[in-house]
Amino acid sequence: MVSLTIEGRPVTVPDGMSILEAAKTAGVLVPHYCYHPGLPVAGVCRMCLVEVEKMPKLAPACATSVMEGQVVHVHSPKALEARKGVLEFLLINHPLDCPICDQAGECELQDYTFAEGRADSRYREPKRFNPVEDFGGDVLYVQNRCILCTRCVRFMSDVADEPVLNVSERGDRAFIGKAEGHDLTNPWAGNVIDLCPVGALLSKDFLNKARAWELDRAPTVCTGCSQGCNAVVETRDNVPVRLKPRPNDAVNQYYMCEVGRQSYREFARRDRADQPLVRINGTLTEVDWEDAVTAAVGALSGKRVVVLASPNLSNEALFLLERLVAQLNGQGVFRVARGETVPLPGVADLALREERAANAAGARLLGFAEVTTVGSALRHDDALLVVGDALDGVTPSELAALSSLVFVGTTIPTAVAERAVAVLPITNTVEEEGTFTNLRGRVQRFLQGRTAPGVARPSWFVLTDLLAATGGAAEFHLPADVFAAMVSTHQAFAGLDYESLGMHGLPVLASETATAGAAI
Amino acid sequence: MSHGPSASGGALVAAPPHGHHHDEPHEPVFVGEARTQLDTILSRYPTKQAALLPALWMLQDARGWVSDKGIEEIAALLAITPAYIKGVVSFYTMYHQHPVGRHFIQVCTTTPCNVCGAEDVVKSFLEHTGCGDLGLTSADGRFTVIEVECLGACGFATPVMINNDFIESVTPESVPRILAELK
Repeated sequence: MVSLTIEGRPVTVPDGMSILEAAKTAGVLVPHYCYHPGLPVAGVCRMCLVEVEKMPKLAPACATSVMEGQVVHVHSPKALEARKGVLEFLLINHPLDCPICDQAGECELQDYTFAEGRADSRYREPKRFNPVEDFGGDVLYVQNRCILCTRCVRFMSDVADEPVLNVSERGDRAFIGKAEGHDLTNPWAGNVIDLCPVGALLSKDFLNKARAWELDRAPTVCTGCSQGCNAVVETRDNVPVRLKPRPNDAVNQYYMCEVGRQSYREFARRDRADQPLVRINGTLTEVDWEDAVTAAVGALSGKRVVVLASPNLSNEALFLLERLVAQLNGQGVFRVARGETVPLPGVADLALREERAANAAGARLLGFAEVTTVGSALRHDDALLVVGDALDGVTPSELAALSSLVFVGTTIPTAVAERAVAVLPITNTVEEEGTFTNLRGRVQRFLQGRTAPGVARPSWFVLTDLLAATGGAAEFHLPADVFAAMVSTHQAFAGLDYESLGMHGLPVLASETATAGAAI
Repeated sequence: MSHGPSASGGALVAAPPHGHHHDEPHEPVFVGEARTQLDTILSRYPTKQAALLPALWMLQDARGWVSDKGIEEIAALLAITPAYIKGVVSFYTMYHQHPVGRHFIQVCTTTPCNVCGAEDVVKSFLEHTGCGDLGLTSADGRFTVIEVECLGACGFATPVMINNDFIESVTPESVPRILAELK
């Protein structure tokens, strides 16, 4: 360990740490562009220059290691003057097009110029102009705004292990080049957009959709696969418009794959079930919640019930479903969509996982059995309770053999519309709060990011009602109550506490993870 | 005659009007004797990457310019990515990123030469080669003329380099004779 003083604050940090990181531990932000904790140090932007006593020159904080007894001044006149010069230099060619730039409001050049830059420019010559280039995939390169920090180049080389970007040309002509014939179609390439500190790399999908200050944000967990990447869902006027990674060293560091990013579309669907429906005289008819719950329970009672749960339901919903399965003397199954595993080479244990659902591990821990087809679990005259699943791939004969079908979900599948006795609309992941268990057994919380459509209710809320209507014990008023009941009755979750999970999650007992439960 | 390491100003060569050349067939350069030569160069350096600049010179000597296909060939031999090599090629102005004429003519127009009439030498070269404009290649593919920053021979204005040959005290009048001597 090394002890030093940064801006008058004494800190003790591990040997070899950079001054920039050490300053963070002291609560001091050293401005920087090229430095990123997830990338190798380049030291090219010179924005992190700080004054270190007894050193003859200013030092780049990102590339200078701490030394015992060092005294660092981040905001000394000399350091501020140097950084002001760097900003002036960067702004020689960077256009002041913040009003039309997608990055406005979350641009580090904007922030630091506001904090430390000159009020005016001494540069009177016209700025360099270059056309916008399509980098392929979701990425657009606006060369005029590029400050050549090379974060994108280093990400593609060292983290994604597909080095297709470079710095081409030199001096004032330099720009980020792309290898001929290669596009940024790597499943992880979208991260260069997040990494870009200015508006040079933009998402085509998000282009001109919203301004940063119009967005509401809520922490969530990506439902794209069983990795459980921490994310932020951003909404504009209650419509999800973007999903961005939220740093978590234990799960996804700073990154997120394209499949995950695009999963926000599922939350923004407009064809939502937003009213409880009951089949009356052959037609699904809007009713109030009480009648719908009564009809649903009526359709399920006295029969052998198969519960088909979505592996994208929260632990809380699955726990209540498990109780419902026991109450109805039924069987709980789930299906998981599968795809190719795509690792991010530069980060250990981070991949787009084969299991394309957020909570398959939770479903297994809570006693649900995995099936490949719904038909394999169904017998003649069964009642089927579908919760969250899309119910695709079911044959008409299998449907016809059911004695009744009850649907609890967000969008009504065609097969359900023709056959369901009752439809109970629930909220999706970004409209409720709860927890998921990822493939490593890490239980992570997600919070509500927007209001529910119509009178749709949170899944745990609806399932509590169903459970109560079937005569089960169901005294839950918050997701935290359900979580507490789950922890107290399931050894796998023992010791966990809803509040202490924080927003980074905690692992369940190691021996109980993901492998519990068997496919049938 | 080949384009040697002393040639400069490649980046000033404008893209030819007929665009990119990525689809052109590429015969491997580093075979036989050239491969042996590259292996010798490689043996002098601790890493393969260190031999990148000489390898690019060999490619340019053999083909007259550095093509994307040529970059790919070097990338495979030196275990470096094409993107990285492209960055290097575009950084150094002496590598040609587009085909140039068989005779690559560089006229120094930096201040002292300019004072001594270099502009007229340039005009004379453009006129007598039929290149039309700086950076363009003559229709017969023989000539490309560019301006270059300081050939370091201010005492012999105007100096001109034609491929690897250095010619001093060129005047507009001497241009036809110089061109006539070129094969």
